[in-house]
Amino acid sequence: MYNYDSFDVEFIRERCAQFRAQVERRIDGSLTEDEFKPLRLMNGLYLQLHAYMLRVTIPYGTLNSGKMRQLAMIADKWDKGYGHFTTRQNIQYNWPELRDVPDMLDALAEVDMHAIQSSGNTVRNVTADHFAGAAADEIEDPRPVAELLRQWSTDHPEFQFLPRKFKIAVTGSPNDRAVTRAHDIGLLMATRDGEPGFEVIVGGGLGRTPMVGQTLCEFLPKADLLPYVEAIVSAYNLLGRRDNKYKARIKITLHETGLDELREVVDERFAAIRATYTGADQLRLREIEQQFAPPALSTKAIEPFETAKRYDPIFRAWSDTNLAEHFNPDYAIVTVSLKKHGETPGDASSDQMRLLADLAEKYGHDELRISHEQNVILPHVHKGDLPVVHAALKKLGLATANVGLISDIIACPGMDYCALATARSIPVAQQIATRFDQLKLEHEIGPLKIKISGCINACGHHHVGHIGILGLDRAGVENYQITLGGDGTEDTVIGTRAGPGFAYDAIVPAIERLIMAYLEIRADAQETFLQTYRRLGADPFKAALYPTQDKADAA
Amino acid sequence: MPLEAPLAPVIERVADLNARYKHHSATAVLEHALADPMVGSIAMVSSFGAESVALLHMLSVMDRSTPVLFLDTEMLFEETLIYQREVADKLGLHNVRVIRPDRDQMFARDNSGNLHRSDPDACCVLRKTEPLQKALDGFDGWITGRKRFQGKNRTTLEFFEDEDGKRIKVNPLVHWTPQDVSDYITNNRLPRHPLVAGGYPSIGCAPCTSRVAPGEDARAGRWRGAEKEECGIHFVNGKMVRGNETEVSDANVVVSDDGFGGDDWTGGFAPLSEPQTADVGLDLPSDTMPENLSGQLDDVTLIRVDFPSFADGRGFTIARQLRLMGYKGRLRARGHVIADQYAMARRSGFDEVEISADLAARQPQDQWRARANWQTHDYQSRLRGVI
Repeated sequence: MYNYDSFDVEFIRERCAQFRAQVERRIDGSLTEDEFKPLRLMNGLYLQLHAYMLRVTIPYGTLNSGKMRQLAMIADKWDKGYGHFTTRQNIQYNWPELRDVPDMLDALAEVDMHAIQSSGNTVRNVTADHFAGAAADEIEDPRPVAELLRQWSTDHPEFQFLPRKFKIAVTGSPNDRAVTRAHDIGLLMATRDGEPGFEVIVGGGLGRTPMVGQTLCEFLPKADLLPYVEAIVSAYNLLGRRDNKYKARIKITLHETGLDELREVVDERFAAIRATYTGADQLRLREIEQQFAPPALSTKAIEPFETAKRYDPIFRAWSDTNLAEHFNPDYAIVTVSLKKHGETPGDASSDQMRLLADLAEKYGHDELRISHEQNVILPHVHKGDLPVVHAALKKLGLATANVGLISDIIACPGMDYCALATARSIPVAQQIATRFDQLKLEHEIGPLKIKISGCINACGHHHVGHIGILGLDRAGVENYQITLGGDGTEDTVIGTRAGPGFAYDAIVPAIERLIMAYLEIRADAQETFLQTYRRLGADPFKAALYPTQDKADAA
Repeated sequence: MPLEAPLAPVIERVADLNARYKHHSATAVLEHALADPMVGSIAMVSSFGAESVALLHMLSVMDRSTPVLFLDTEMLFEETLIYQREVADKLGLHNVRVIRPDRDQMFARDNSGNLHRSDPDACCVLRKTEPLQKALDGFDGWITGRKRFQGKNRTTLEFFEDEDGKRIKVNPLVHWTPQDVSDYITNNRLPRHPLVAGGYPSIGCAPCTSRVAPGEDARAGRWRGAEKEECGIHFVNGKMVRGNETEVSDANVVVSDDGFGGDDWTGGFAPLSEPQTADVGLDLPSDTMPENLSGQLDDVTLIRVDFPSFADGRGFTIARQLRLMGYKGRLRARGHVIADQYAMARRSGFDEVEISADLAARQPQDQWRARANWQTHDYQSRLRGVI
């Protein structure tokens, strides 16, 4: 866990004071609404349909108990007692008053947190693998690099008014859990002849025009990271389109400019920028790395875990789905599901946040993570402590055993909250979860990722869902399109549209037909939905979706 | 009150409604107007002009089937007609009724189409007031987008208004400022009327709408040169005198770490297409690719980079690239740069910022000097080992 030094602390104080003054200058008329807007966005403050929304960054998804308790305090004091964890490892408060926001930012600064660059046309919160520093399959912890990038991008003078937002993700594991290839820049940690470095991917993104990123640099030595990233963003700042916001992301620049030509511009800029970095950044990186040393793990008996598994079927079901392999076999990575059947995916109450903080402090080496799948993770829990942790989670409705299953749905806020949305998404997620819970088929179905977006901007990542659902507005009526076969891992695949869309009351039955067809045609219980789809193609699934008709080209 | 009971006199209902909704927001007033039995059957009247889309969007969220009356005076801008169809389509408004002037009356009273020149009031009566009154027959009320800030005879408008005892007029946006409207349009990603960007903040018929200069009242372009402020649809009592034009700007201000100053550069400026000398400053547009300038900067002593909008951050990268290419002369940002960007400009390599007198008046010197400490708290300097 990175702790602010005096430089960071002074920076954040200065920044809070600036924002407080900007709010005052908006009120006295010095700033027009147009001018104030990017300034508030730079500090995480959106204006939605009915109220302001504050989006607080959780850098690379890492928290400790103190930060989590402060988030709970803020939810109680200035919001309605809960917060919403997002697919970008942020937390959103949906009901703050403008006049309270400077105080909220001060409260965040007290625990080394902020809302800087969680929105606006700038470099956004850098995301990383949520199992970083704990996963058994990891080559290197990506978080020190993500922290270095956070410092580099914070208040970067050239890049506060880019053509559009800019997202960077880092992963240090061959199993990509950070959807790296769907980012403006994706960094895959690698080594060549023993030297550490990165494969640099550029131009990935979901949204209206989903694209899988392309390799701009096969191998970039570690020390060249900042000048190289700076060269990319510098090239993008001048080449990116500013005439049409839907064509302004770097994925379009890449598409229109071509990979080779973009590489030429980047290489030329890199040559000039590289000389301005004299090594201070690498010294900084080493200091940061020391703060991410692995925790001192304990050696004690894991019998309570084995016993509970044997005698408690509820615990057993939970441990089958919600635990992931830790680099130490006596430990486990616990994913706490924020997807209780029928609840809003990603919402946590202040009581739940405080419980998670207590558990992290007592049983989890004081570490918490937020995943882009909108769950909370305790990355280092000794297996012997799991039954106690499970029992405590159960009391506050946090022990749902559904991680990676059909009801572990990613859903954007949809028309219930978002000014852009064209359809509801949260109620669809709730109904799917409730329906399959009634059918008691969830564990039978096994690993399955359903992702729902309430408009074409794809905040729910539907393009990379095994089953993706996109809610649209068709002449005033909600209409839901289904995509099949998407995959957000290292094999990144954009899903294919299955056919005409479904009305609001027909979407859940359609999903049910799809799942029943899968259960019927899978080779055996081990074959997942995605594997079956890849083996047999879309036809049997389309047949299930559109049983009586033959008009797949309609709509 | 049972629904089928006859409505009370308009004046009583208006007083009651204004009292009930006194402290409500625009959305609440509109929502109630659509549902409140005291209002009765209702239509929205919209010009699909510069600001109309906000109210239309609000309506579309609540009830897309509400009748929307659009007056095609047959003198409108082509852009308005296209925009009308686009907006109705995008918002899913499926009960838009296009109202046109009566054929026979047009033939009799404005055969040449020049009535607006000889008698603009008579033209408004023929093309607007009469057709609208006819179309409103059968409605108990109508919704308008008028706001208090728009004109002197609109400054005392209430949410609900009595139209000569005939109908109720509902004005949900009375308390909105131009910023509120702009904010709403931006935040809901609504399409703007294409003429707004061309300098038409208020749009009526083509012959009687002209461009508005910066600093002028938004409605100054309507019936310019005539003692006329309203078309007659909303005309109340007597003619109103138009506001005076505000003063126009004077010389630009150059901002440095010391604060505001005049421009000490006397050599003038020329674009790249003209031969460069040390005496004349080089003007660069915001779409410059600095790479293309290599070898051409040796004799230049001052470069000025344009910022067409503060949201366009290309100039920061242009400055940085120029410095990386070895340019050591004076570097100036010119245009719409705001005080909050002063530190960004200095850190990117600019020496100074040139702004208009208007902007300098709105954001005085102390707001710029607050960022004269741009060298502190800078992550870039830290990561490059400068501090």
